[in-house]
Formats: sequence, C-alpha cells, structure tokens
Amino acid sequence: MTESKRVMIVPCSGIGKAYGSVGREAMYALLEDLCPDTTDTVCLSLLTLGDAEAQAQVRDQPTITIDGCPSACAKVNVEAAGGKPMAEFRVYDVYRAHRELKVRSVSELGDAGREMARILAEEIAAKVDEVSRQPPVNSQQSTV
Amino acid sequence: MDYLETIVDKFVFRVARDCRYNDADIWAKRVNDRVRVGLTDFLQQKSGDVAFVNLPSTGKSLNANDALVALETIKVDLEIAAPISGRIIAVNDALTAHPELVNDDPYGEGWLAELEPSNWADYDALLDAETYLPQMKARAELEREK
Amino acid sequence: MPVLPKRKVGLISCSGEELPEGTLSRVTTLQVLERLRPHDTVTLCLPLFLAGDDKERAFARFYPMIAIDGCDKRCAALATEKYSAQPTASIVIPEFLAARGLDAPHSRRQLDAAGERAVDALAQEIARRVDDILGVKHAHVAEEQVAKSEVVTATCSCGSGIPVTRLNIAGKDVEVVALPLIFEQFYGDGKSPDELFTMVKVYNAIPPELEPAYREATQRAFAEYVPAPEKSGG
Repeated sequence: MTESKRVMIVPCSGIGKAYGSVGREAMYALLEDLCPDTTDTVCLSLLTLGDAEAQAQVRDQPTITIDGCPSACAKVNVEAAGGKPMAEFRVYDVYRAHRELKVRSVSELGDAGREMARILAEEIAAKVDEVSRQPPVNSQQSTV
Repeated sequence: MDYLETIVDKFVFRVARDCRYNDADIWAKRVNDRVRVGLTDFLQQKSGDVAFVNLPSTGKSLNANDALVALETIKVDLEIAAPISGRIIAVNDALTAHPELVNDDPYGEGWLAELEPSNWADYDALLDAETYLPQMKARAELEREK
Repeated sequence: MPVLPKRKVGLISCSGEELPEGTLSRVTTLQVLERLRPHDTVTLCLPLFLAGDDKERAFARFYPMIAIDGCDKRCAALATEKYSAQPTASIVIPEFLAARGLDAPHSRRQLDAAGERAVDALAQEIARRVDDILGVKHAHVAEEQVAKSEVVTATCSCGSGIPVTRLNIAGKDVEVVALPLIFEQFYGDGKSPDELFTMVKVYNAIPPELEPAYREATQRAFAEYVPAPEKSGG
C-alpha cells in the first residue's frame, strides 16, 4: 500500500501585524483554491499547547511554514513540536520583491494584501507541486 | 555596548550610553573625525521592519535637518534628517541587501551614514543618553495613547 | 521615577486556522482591540509563548487576560495557564453562540452574515468583561458610531520587558512580576507595607491561601531594596 502525504501549511497567527493576516490568507488560498487535494493545515495554537495529534502531523507530514515577522512563530513552534519544515516562507520577502504592495492593516487586507497573499500562495504552490511529484512513501516494504 | 533601558507600557527601549541624540530619535556617535548616525531603538520599533533603505551619495554636503536617508518599512515610509551639518563621507551599503540590520542592531551594524561635521558644535549640542531617555520615554507614552 | 504600565486587559485569541470559529475568534479580538476598547486592551500572539522569551510570559501575568477560544480544546486558555498564569476570564465561542442562540459562521476564510452577527455579539461581550475587570463603565457604543479616525491599529506586545523577580515563597521558587518597578514607586512615595502588598496583588495573581507567604516574601525583598538608615553616633 502506498500513501501520499498532504503538505501541512502552517502560518503564524500574527494578530498584531498585517503580515500575519497576509500569511493566513495565503494558506487558505492554497487549501481552497490552488492545492485543495495536496495541502492541509493545523492550528498553530495546538502546537503551542503541545497537542500530541497536532505535533504528530507536523512531524510525520511535510510541512511549510509562513511567517509574518522576524519572531518566526510558525517555524519555531513547528520545530518545537519536533517537525522540520521543508520550506520556510516569509511575507516580508514578498514585499521585498513587490515594493508597490503596501499592507497597513491587520484586520482589512485590501487589494494590496490580497495580491501579496496570492503571490505568496503561488510561490508555495510551486513548492507543494514539487513535493507532490515525488514518489509516494511505501508504508509496507515488500520482500522478495 | 552599554545601554540605558526604559519600559513603556509593554515595550522595552534601549538607549546606547556612548551616543548622542536629537528629538527626532536619531543617534549620532563620534568615530575619529566623523560622526556616524542611525535610528534609535525607539524609532526602529515604532516604525516596523525595514524593507528598503535609499542611501544618499557620498560627497554630498547638507545642513542639519536636511533629508539624509529614506527608509521604507512594512508600516511606514520614513525620511531621516541629518542631525548635524556636514559632508557625507560613508554610507552603510550593507543595508541594501540587509535592511533588517536597522531593526536587529540599530546602534551597531544598522548604522546609516557617516558625516564629516561642518561644525563640531552641532554634535556637542546633541543630547547625551541620560538627557535623551526621559524625553524619548515621554514621546513613547504619547504614542501609546494614540 | 519609573512608571508602572497603565493597567490594561490582555486579549489572547486562539489562532484557529482549522475552524470558522477560530477565524471568528481572531476577527472579534481585533474588533475589540481596534474599535471597542483600543485604549484598555492589548494582545499577545499565542505562539509567542513558545517563540518569545520570558518577557511574553511575564506579560500574560502582568495584565489580567481574557482568553478567547474557537473550540473546546481551549488552546488560548490552557496555553496561557501552562506558560504563565490562569486567565482572568475565558470564552469558548461555540458555548457562547449556543447560549445566545446564534449561528456559527460557515467559512473559516471569510466571515458570512452569521459570522458578522456573531462578531458583533461576541465583541460586545468581551468589551463588557474588559470593563468589569477594569472596574470602568463605558457607555454602549455601537460599532457604526465609532468614526474611522478613532480606529486604532492593534499592535502586539512582543518584547514586553516586564521585569520578573524570583522569590522563595513557602519553600518554592516563584516568579513575581514587576517588583523593581513597584518598589521604586513605593520607596519614592513612602507608602505603608500594606499598600505595597496591595500593589503587588494588582500585578500578580496570588492564591488566597498563599497570601501570608507572599506578603512576607515581598516585604523581605523590599527591605533588602531599601537602603539601611545611617546610624547616629552617641
């Protein structure tokens, strides 16, 4: 039997910073629009709390983190749970590449925020596709 | 580096003892015959993560309060004025590739530019750390109440 | 003279990416932070308890906290208690919605009409609890009356910097928050030891049965802080 693992997309919570909202929106864009069959998410709060099931998810499945500020909460919490992100994305880097997109509000993304989220989601989707094209893991080894 | 610290609401702000300051929250420090300048910890925290730094050309002369460096953070666009009159001798080119240095190490690797002063009296007139600290704290408290 | 931070209420929301109620928790918290009680509340990103350092945990002990959770796993309430101190109040959104006869939102990405109604009711409830904790009375302000110019952008409290002191209390090492700031203010004002302990209790959650031990330990710490009077000759 073989199984394909979904890529876990873990954004930071970022309630105090606009880029936290951008990362969250990028995650939903992946799960609902771009990669609905190959991605999933887990609540970052559950990782902070130490929920065993949530920790197992980021340990056992390929994980991509999205962080909104240098505190890198998503990356740190995934690693504290024993996970090893296969890729780490920062919303800040999207702004560095797209200087015209200025997002000033945490609660309302606006056109700039949604565009930033779209760009980020597409970059991450390319990474997800790369992982998904890899041969699935054999859960039972056959012996000859 | 030795610092003074103050707490305002939920934030800690550091003031380097060996720098001088103005009321625009810019630090200045004598380095041999030059004056190095940068953002204070208060200003970098208030402004957010720096994403772009537009550095001036060296050789340019300017007066105190003339525009020196333009910064874009994830929150605001900032124009930093020269705290003293002088000629720009050096700029911190590392900030083009690593603007985060302004936030990570505002008094050290995050320096902005070095000036050759026209008049050292400008530098001497800046505030020392002990005088600057309470004034900065008052501005931070006002900011908190906005 | 240093100034103790103005007493505010900390709001800590679960991140709730997986559930519509999680998004509701986040949106409602921002509503209270930015519109309803912008000068009386602060927030902390929950994952900073792990990604930050002692200062974030001290923050949650320094401010009375309201935890807002999107499901009965109660990550915000339990993580606050685990890393810092028990929150002053805890709201679990499904329970709140059921009690008020409100529908849950259907989408976790974008709140629908049911979600908007839930935000309004929940935000008012949180605001009421903030007022109760602070002992203030606010006139009810409907959201539409808050002019856009009054909206305050929420900022998180990363880097709280609240000093934490370890004291031996009843044979155990205990972290007590804000003592240096409290001592300096009291030393300058010349207040009584009872008033000192009252202030310590404002900024630290102390179990009633341990109050005598805490009182003794903080007064001992204050005595060490106060310079000894000069002895007169004779």
